[in-house]
Amino acid sequence: MDMLTKPALNVVKKSRKGYHITFAVIALLLALSPFLIDGTSLVQFLGKCMCYAIVGIALDLIWGYTGMLSLGHGLWFCLGGYAMAMFLKLEGTGGKITDFMQTGGLDALPWFWTPFGSFPVTLALIIVIPAVFAGLVGFFVFRSRIKGVYFSIITQALTWAVYSLFMANSKYTGGNNGITDIASVFGKTKGEANRPNLLLLFFVTLAVLVLVYLLATYLTGRKFGKLLIAIRDGENRTYFSGYSVNSYKNFIYAVSAVLAAIAGALFVNFNGSITPTQMTIGYSITMVIWVAVGGRGTIIGAVIGAFFINLCEYNFSSGILVEAWQYIIGAIFCLTILLFKGGIVGIVRDNIPSLIRKIKERKKPAEKEAA
Amino acid sequence: MEQLVTTLFNGLSLSSIYLLVALGLAITFGQMGVINMAHGEFVMLGAYMTFCTQEFFKNFLPESIGSFYYFAAIILAFIVTFGLGCLLEKVLISRLYGRKIDSLLATWGVSLILQQLVRTIFGAQGVNVNAPAFLRGGLEVNGLTFSYNRIFIIILVAFCLAMVWLLVNRSRYGSRMRATMQNRPMAQCMGINTKKIDCITFGIGSGLAGIAGCSVALLGSVDSTVGQNYIVYSFMTVVLGGVGNLFGTVIGAGIIGFSSIFVENYQSASIARAIVLLIIIVFLQFKPSGLFTIRSRVLDEGV
Amino acid sequence: MSFIDTELHRPIKYRTGKALDIKSISVEFDGFKALTDVTVGVKRNSIHFFIGPNGAGKTTLLDIICAKTKPTSGTVHFYPEEGYEILLTGMKEYAIANAGVGRKFQVPSVFTELSVYDNMVLSLSGNKRIWSSIFRKVTPKENDIIADVLDKVGLTSHANEKAGSLSHGQKQWLEIGMQLAARPKIIMLDEPAAGMGKPETFRTGELLKRIKDICTVIVVEHDMEFVKQVADTVTVLHEGMVLTEGNIDDVLANETVQKVYLGRGGE
Repeated sequence: MDMLTKPALNVVKKSRKGYHITFAVIALLLALSPFLIDGTSLVQFLGKCMCYAIVGIALDLIWGYTGMLSLGHGLWFCLGGYAMAMFLKLEGTGGKITDFMQTGGLDALPWFWTPFGSFPVTLALIIVIPAVFAGLVGFFVFRSRIKGVYFSIITQALTWAVYSLFMANSKYTGGNNGITDIASVFGKTKGEANRPNLLLLFFVTLAVLVLVYLLATYLTGRKFGKLLIAIRDGENRTYFSGYSVNSYKNFIYAVSAVLAAIAGALFVNFNGSITPTQMTIGYSITMVIWVAVGGRGTIIGAVIGAFFINLCEYNFSSGILVEAWQYIIGAIFCLTILLFKGGIVGIVRDNIPSLIRKIKERKKPAEKEAA
Repeated sequence: MEQLVTTLFNGLSLSSIYLLVALGLAITFGQMGVINMAHGEFVMLGAYMTFCTQEFFKNFLPESIGSFYYFAAIILAFIVTFGLGCLLEKVLISRLYGRKIDSLLATWGVSLILQQLVRTIFGAQGVNVNAPAFLRGGLEVNGLTFSYNRIFIIILVAFCLAMVWLLVNRSRYGSRMRATMQNRPMAQCMGINTKKIDCITFGIGSGLAGIAGCSVALLGSVDSTVGQNYIVYSFMTVVLGGVGNLFGTVIGAGIIGFSSIFVENYQSASIARAIVLLIIIVFLQFKPSGLFTIRSRVLDEGV
Repeated sequence: MSFIDTELHRPIKYRTGKALDIKSISVEFDGFKALTDVTVGVKRNSIHFFIGPNGAGKTTLLDIICAKTKPTSGTVHFYPEEGYEILLTGMKEYAIANAGVGRKFQVPSVFTELSVYDNMVLSLSGNKRIWSSIFRKVTPKENDIIADVLDKVGLTSHANEKAGSLSHGQKQWLEIGMQLAARPKIIMLDEPAAGMGKPETFRTGELLKRIKDICTVIVVEHDMEFVKQVADTVTVLHEGMVLTEGNIDDVLANETVQKVYLGRGGE
C-alpha cells in the first residue's frame, strides 16, 4: 500500500447555521409577541401555533427524514390532548364525575379516569401512553416490513378505528363533543384579567418548543439522523449494512408519537377543549400539509410551515375568504408537492439561488457581446 | 334462522358496496400503484350527479319516464368522473409517477378542493336522492323483507365486476394495460401508447367510483363528506385482498362487509368498525401483502 | 478484531478450512425452481466465483446466503474463524451482516442523499445499536480506517460529495469501499465489473487479490477475463444446479460448460 502518497481526508460538516439563526429569530419574535399584541385571542392563537410546530417537527422526523408518511398523527396528538383534558376536567369538577358521564348514566368515575386526578401522574401518562401504544403498533407493523403507502394506509385505518371508539363511548370520552369547558394548567386564560396566566402558559409552551427543536436537531445531527436518511433512501441497503432497521423505525415512530402527544397536551390548555375532530384523518393530513409546505427533511421547515399555514388560515377565517381558504390550501398543497418538493425552505435554499445563478449566467454573455 | 338470513343479506349488501368503491381503487391502486385520496370524492361526485339527474328529470321531463332517471344518472356519473379522472391523471398524477407518497398527498389536495366545490354549489347541507319507483319497497319471502334497492346494488356490483374482469382479462385494451403495468419500457417498445393507457386506466378507476356514488346515494343523505366514510374501508379492502388482484379484492370486500355486520349484531356500529379494522391490522401481520399475492423479484421498489 | 458472541458462535472441534458451507439448498418461487440441491464449499481466504448463463441462480444463491431470500430447504453455515460455526439460515439479514458477511449488490446501492464520508461511517463494523448511533462519536481510529479505504477505492477527493452525484463506476467503488470499511470475514460481490471500463476492472481485480488475505471473497461475474485474472475456484451454475467446479482452466475445458455457454450464444 502506498501510504506515502495518501491524500489527506478532509471532512467538511454541512453547516446548519442558517436554520438555527432562522429558528432563533422565530423564537425571539414569539417571545416578544405577547408584549406587542393587544388582546388575548391572537396570543392564544400563537400558542396553538407553537403546538402545531411541535407536531410538525414530530411528523418531519418520521416523514421528512425517515420517509414514513403517517396519515394518523392526529391520534397521538389527541392521546396527549385527552390525557391533559381529563386532568383539567377533574380539576374543574373537583375529582367528581363529569357532565357527560352523568348524561351517559354513570354514577361513579370510571377506573381509568382516576389516575388523571394527579398532575405528576398525568404528565407521566402523556408520555407513557403514546410511547407504549406507538411502540406496540410500530413493533407489529415494522416487524412484518409494512412500508411505503401501506404504512400510510395502516396508520390511517388505526386512527379511524380509535376515532370510532372515542365517538362511540360518549359516556367515557364525551363522544362527539369531546371534553369541553376546561381551564389551563395555570388557571383560566380567557379575557384580559387572566393575561398573566396566559403569558405563563405561553412561555412554558415556547420553552417546550425550543427544547423539542434542540432535541430534534441533536438527533438528526448525529449518526442516528444519517441512519434515518439512509433508511429513507435504501431500506434494504441499511439492513444489509447490519442495522436492525425495524428497531430504528419503531424508535423514531414512538419518539414522534410522544412529541405529538406533548403538543396535544399543550394545545388543550390554549384551546379549552379537545374533540375527536382533532383525531380525524383530515386533521392528520393537515399536519402533513404544514410540513410539506414548510419543507420536509429540515426541522426548521416543519416550524415555518406550521406557522405559515396557520397564520394564513387565521387571517382568512373571516368574511368571504372562509370558503376560498379550502381552495387555496388545496391548491397550495398540490403545487408544493408538484413543483416545490423542498417547500418554503427548499425555495429559499435551492430554487432562489439557482435562479440568481441562471440570471447571472445569462447576463455574462450579453455583457461580452456588448464589449 | 331468520336472523341469520337477514344478517347474511345485510353482509352481502354491505360487502357489495365496499366492493364497488374498492373496484375503482383496485384498478388505480392495484394496477397503477397510485393511491388516489380523491377517490372518495369521486364517489361523492357520483352521488351528486345522481341528485342532479333526478332534479333535471323532475323539472324538465315528463313524469312517465321519471323512474328512468337512475339509469341516466349511472351513465352520467360514469362519464363525468371518468373525465375528471383522466384530467387528474394528465395534470397531476402523470407528473408524480415513481413518487407514490407524493401522489397520495397531491390527490388529497384535490379532494379538499372537490369537497369545497360541492359545498359552494350545493351548500353544506346534505341533499336527498329518492329511489326510483321500481326500487321502492322490498321483496317479501317467508315474512322477511329484502329491500329492492339493496338487491339492485348487488346486481349492479356483479355487473360492474364482470365488466372489469372482461376488460382486464379478455379485451385488447386489458392486455395492453397489463403489459404497461408489468413492464413499461417493453410495452413502449411494442408500440403501446403507455401515456394514453395510464390516462384511460385511471379514468376507468375513477368512473367506477362515480357508479359507486350512484349506489351510495340510494342509501342515505348525500353531503360533501359522504366519500370519506367509505375510503378507509376501501383501501383496507384492496390491501387485504392483495394489491393487483381482482379476486382478492372481492374476497377482501366480503370479509370486511360480513365481519362488520356480524360484529354489529353484538356491538354498536362504531365499535364494530374499530374491531374490524384492528382485526385486519393484526391479519396483515402475518400476511403483509394481503391474502393473494403476486410474488415478484423486484428488489427495492420506489416509494 | 476478533469478537466471539457465544450465543451465535458454536464452538466446533473439527477444522473445515472453509469459510462458508452451502448444503443442499433448494429454492422455489411459485413452482419455479430457482435452485435445486446446491452444495458448495467456499475455502477460507480464497476468491470464489459463481458463473453461469442468465437465470442460472447465481444472484439467488447470494440472496440465500445473506437472507434476502429464504431457502425452501437446505442450510448455510459460516465459519468466522477456525473452530467456530454460525448457522446463517434463519438469521435476520442485519445479524448476518454484523456476523461478518457483507454484500455488494448488482445495481449499485449507496445512500444517495448522504455524503461519501457518511456512507462510510454507516458501514463501519460494530456499534449498530440505536443508543450508540445517537451518543457515540466516530473515533480517530475509525476515521483512519475510512481514510485508508477511501484511498484504496480512489474516492478521497469526493469524500464530501453526495453519493448520488457520483458516476456509475464511482458508485460501484464506493459500495466496494463500504464493504471494506465493514471489515467483513466474507465479502460477496454481485457483478462488480458491470459498468466499469477495462482498466477499472483490472484495478478491481488487483484490489480483490489484496483483500483476500484478510477475508474470503465470493464473486458473481460474467466477464471471463476478470474471472481468469483473479479466480481461485469457479463454480458453474446452470438452471439452478451445480454443473461443475474447479479452477478456471479446468472449468473452461469442460465440454458441458462449453455447450451451456455456446448453446446460449456464448458469453
